[in-house]
Amino acid sequence: MNFAALKTKTVVWFAALIVVVNGFFPALWILFTSLKTENELLQFPITYIPRDPTLVNYYQAFTEKPLHLFLLNSVIVAGSSTIITVIVSALAAYALTRLRMPRRNLIMGLLMAVAMFPLISLIVPLFQVMRELGLLNTYLSLILPYTVLSLPVCTLVMASFFQDISPDLEAAAMVDGCTRVQALFKIVLPLAAPGVFTAAILAFVNAWDEFLLALTFLSRETMRTLSVGITLYQGEFAFPWPLISAALIVAIVPVCILIAIFQERVVGGLTAGGVKG
Amino acid sequence: MKPTKDLSERTLGWLLLSPVAVLLAIVVLYPVGQLIYSSFFTIRLTEPWLGTPFVGLENYARAWDDERFWGALQNTVLFIVVTVPGSLAVGLGLALLANMPFKRKWPVRLALLLPWALPLVFAGLIFRWFFDYKLGFFNDILMKIGIAPQAWLTDPVLAKIAICFTIIWKSSSFMALVLLAGLQAIPKSLYEAAEVDGASKWLQFKEITIPMLMPAIFVALIFRTITAIQTFDIPYAMTGGGPGDSTETLAMYIHKNTLDFLDFGYGSALATIMFVVSIIATSGYLRYTQRSAGRD
Repeated sequence: MNFAALKTKTVVWFAALIVVVNGFFPALWILFTSLKTENELLQFPITYIPRDPTLVNYYQAFTEKPLHLFLLNSVIVAGSSTIITVIVSALAAYALTRLRMPRRNLIMGLLMAVAMFPLISLIVPLFQVMRELGLLNTYLSLILPYTVLSLPVCTLVMASFFQDISPDLEAAAMVDGCTRVQALFKIVLPLAAPGVFTAAILAFVNAWDEFLLALTFLSRETMRTLSVGITLYQGEFAFPWPLISAALIVAIVPVCILIAIFQERVVGGLTAGGVKG
Repeated sequence: MKPTKDLSERTLGWLLLSPVAVLLAIVVLYPVGQLIYSSFFTIRLTEPWLGTPFVGLENYARAWDDERFWGALQNTVLFIVVTVPGSLAVGLGLALLANMPFKRKWPVRLALLLPWALPLVFAGLIFRWFFDYKLGFFNDILMKIGIAPQAWLTDPVLAKIAICFTIIWKSSSFMALVLLAGLQAIPKSLYEAAEVDGASKWLQFKEITIPMLMPAIFVALIFRTITAIQTFDIPYAMTGGGPGDSTETLAMYIHKNTLDFLDFGYGSALATIMFVVSIIATSGYLRYTQRSAGRD
């Protein structure tokens, strides 16, 4: 190997190392801490690799707070809002890409703009709306806003996939006696499955991660979702870090597995808005 | 036959769009109306005997004289001004590094996806601990290189730095993903031609990469700005707005006024102000996408 090739190789390795350390370090840090004992944590100077790995923190994380309920609540809220988002945005994307709608771009732009309004400035009136409807401390109080939160990006992702499907296929199906709606469900959606899937992952992660609305609308401890539930482990002054780390690992592992398996799709979906524009 | 077909297609189109319209009406449009309306009234749940009298612009006048509001606004602006360019710079750096010819792409891609997928509030929690005085990672490093440990989260200036650092770490990876996709869309032939002409790497970066990347940079900046206006989770988890109110953002102050002080009228006025600022940022995005849609 000549010098130039070696130099290139070193640079590439170094680049990879920086990006990987930057991305993985915090996750590794909490993984290691979750395996430490309280005693080791309080040692000074701090240790990095746990000397005496233990799983006791995971056990305690589930017994000290209803972590299994937080997990269940997150799954229910994120799961239902994902399903609704995907259906609603599939219908909208179909109308905007496959039907001859007047002023398509304007409608699309308005959708984006309305849905990009900061939910944070809407917490005050939304709180009032939810209270009037008696929806506080129900899953629906989060499912509805989360659906809107993901609508724009999901519509955009699915629209870009629908555009690539040949209209001839639908036309053929309609000649064979399918209605348009049947054609949508039997021809277009199955062909756009990767897009539907990408949209679903994005919607799921958005809902799984949201904090402010979950903090505001679900105040009963047994209704808390993970993002809020994990902040409950801290006392007024005490921070049981090993316990919090164990709970954090439980909370992020499902999403990590999801994005690790489908990383190419996720990246494609995330950048659909950016690159197309 | 044709006009009738067009008409039914149009009807079907509106029908398919109606679920979106209903959802937006419930979650966005009606609340926005309610928000602006409430901002003209005194609505204090802690003092129900006051009733809910109409007070005109009094809530806005109160914001004008409220030092804590100006402080929160100042912090929000500071976080925008520091973290938007900051995460663009770091994100661009990460994107350029990640664009190198790796044999295995997944570790780098996953490393960019992890910070994006990590909930903001968790990033705040983890970095709160990194910046911890005694048990934190940063002070450990400082001591190892012979510098005195710093009181990161209890000093007003250092706390702002710590929060900016965390926001930039969290948001730069999404930036990097968008920019990386932009980088990969630049035709290789441009660089080859520049190489033939003897252009240096820096010149290639300045004359090819940056101009070709502008659309992706613009979209990433707008998205980042819109989320930066709403900064809540990370300062909430790291300092709770402290020490004092020195890291409190507008979103945190709105949350405090409504959910802790139960002062809905005043909270609504503050939220309306934030809402107007966001519209301005969003309309920038909208105008840009409309323009590029016309270009296609």
